[in-house]
Amino acid sequence: MSRKTLVAVSAAAALVLGGGLAAALSLSSGGTSKATTTVTGADRLTTLLDGIEQHGAVLGSPSAPVTLVEFADPQCPYCAEWEARALPGIVTRYVRTGKVQIHFNGMTFVGADSETAFRTALAAGQQGRFWNVLTLLFANQGTENAGWVTDALLHAIGTAVPGLDTQQMLDARDSATVNRGLADAAALAETAGITSTPAFAVGKTGGALRVVQLTSLDASGITPALDAALSQ
Amino acid sequence: MSDRRLRVAILVLSVLGAGIAAYLTAAHLADAPLLCATGGCETVQRSRYAELAGMPVASLGLAGYVAIAATAAARGELWRAAGFVLALGGLAFAGYLVWVQVGVLDAICQWCLSSDAILVLLVPATLLRLRDSR
Repeated sequence: MSRKTLVAVSAAAALVLGGGLAAALSLSSGGTSKATTTVTGADRLTTLLDGIEQHGAVLGSPSAPVTLVEFADPQCPYCAEWEARALPGIVTRYVRTGKVQIHFNGMTFVGADSETAFRTALAAGQQGRFWNVLTLLFANQGTENAGWVTDALLHAIGTAVPGLDTQQMLDARDSATVNRGLADAAALAETAGITSTPAFAVGKTGGALRVVQLTSLDASGITPALDAALSQ
Repeated sequence: MSDRRLRVAILVLSVLGAGIAAYLTAAHLADAPLLCATGGCETVQRSRYAELAGMPVASLGLAGYVAIAATAAARGELWRAAGFVLALGGLAFAGYLVWVQVGVLDAICQWCLSSDAILVLLVPATLLRLRDSR
């Protein structure tokens, strides 16, 4: 074999080696896994949130006079129950009308699936779709720490959200912005003294927030606190 | 440049690269913080791109540098070709990892970039050794 041929063959082998490693890492990181799961509630939740402003983890107009902070873990069953029973009414009555903005403050103490889910929602928030992904995660919640937050589920959720670039969302899960969102949420929960979920704090936007003791997992458990804040 | 000088250069560079890769591998396995001026090392090190088939990606780099050092210590055309394949293959993979840092993770790891710089130097050194050595 001539020297020139040997160099060319070696270069080709090197590119196959480097490309193969890159492809293997891309596959193992979940970058190209496809949707194999169906999600429930997509149409209902898309309709519920359609046309409402989203800024990161905040749902509603930034100028809404009252802020409701929801402290919840994506794996917590009671949080999912609150999302199903209380959220639609609150969104329709308070958020869509510009009275209240809801800030979801994720907590991840249940386990690894909690962090994966919250990271994914935060990543979707970079495309203005945090609440679409979050509510679909709650609507399709699995057994705690059973590994239910799979790439297949996240692909299916991403595909079900109109206007969301699923791959971009999945790729952004480990970004510095999402890391900051996770750390900020943990810090706020600690400052507020939240130790169980779901928990809520209500107050004038930009002012002090007061932790609310829930009396029920439907909307009536929180609406008195919202009405009181609005009347201040 | 003489074969002897190229072999010494390749040996020195690959030992430096192996040192960086060993540090990153050890920190990953021990889940220890990294000395980092860019602020992005932890993000990169804890990302899902930091492991391949259960092994730290840095350990692949360590194995690669040790292998390149071995080719520098050996004589013969096949060894020279192997050194070039490993260096260029490593650089191609490193290029993908730079894209991951900038385009996906939004974080830069200075240790990874230092290793990349070593690969940039190793590629011409191993190529010269393959092309010109007798």
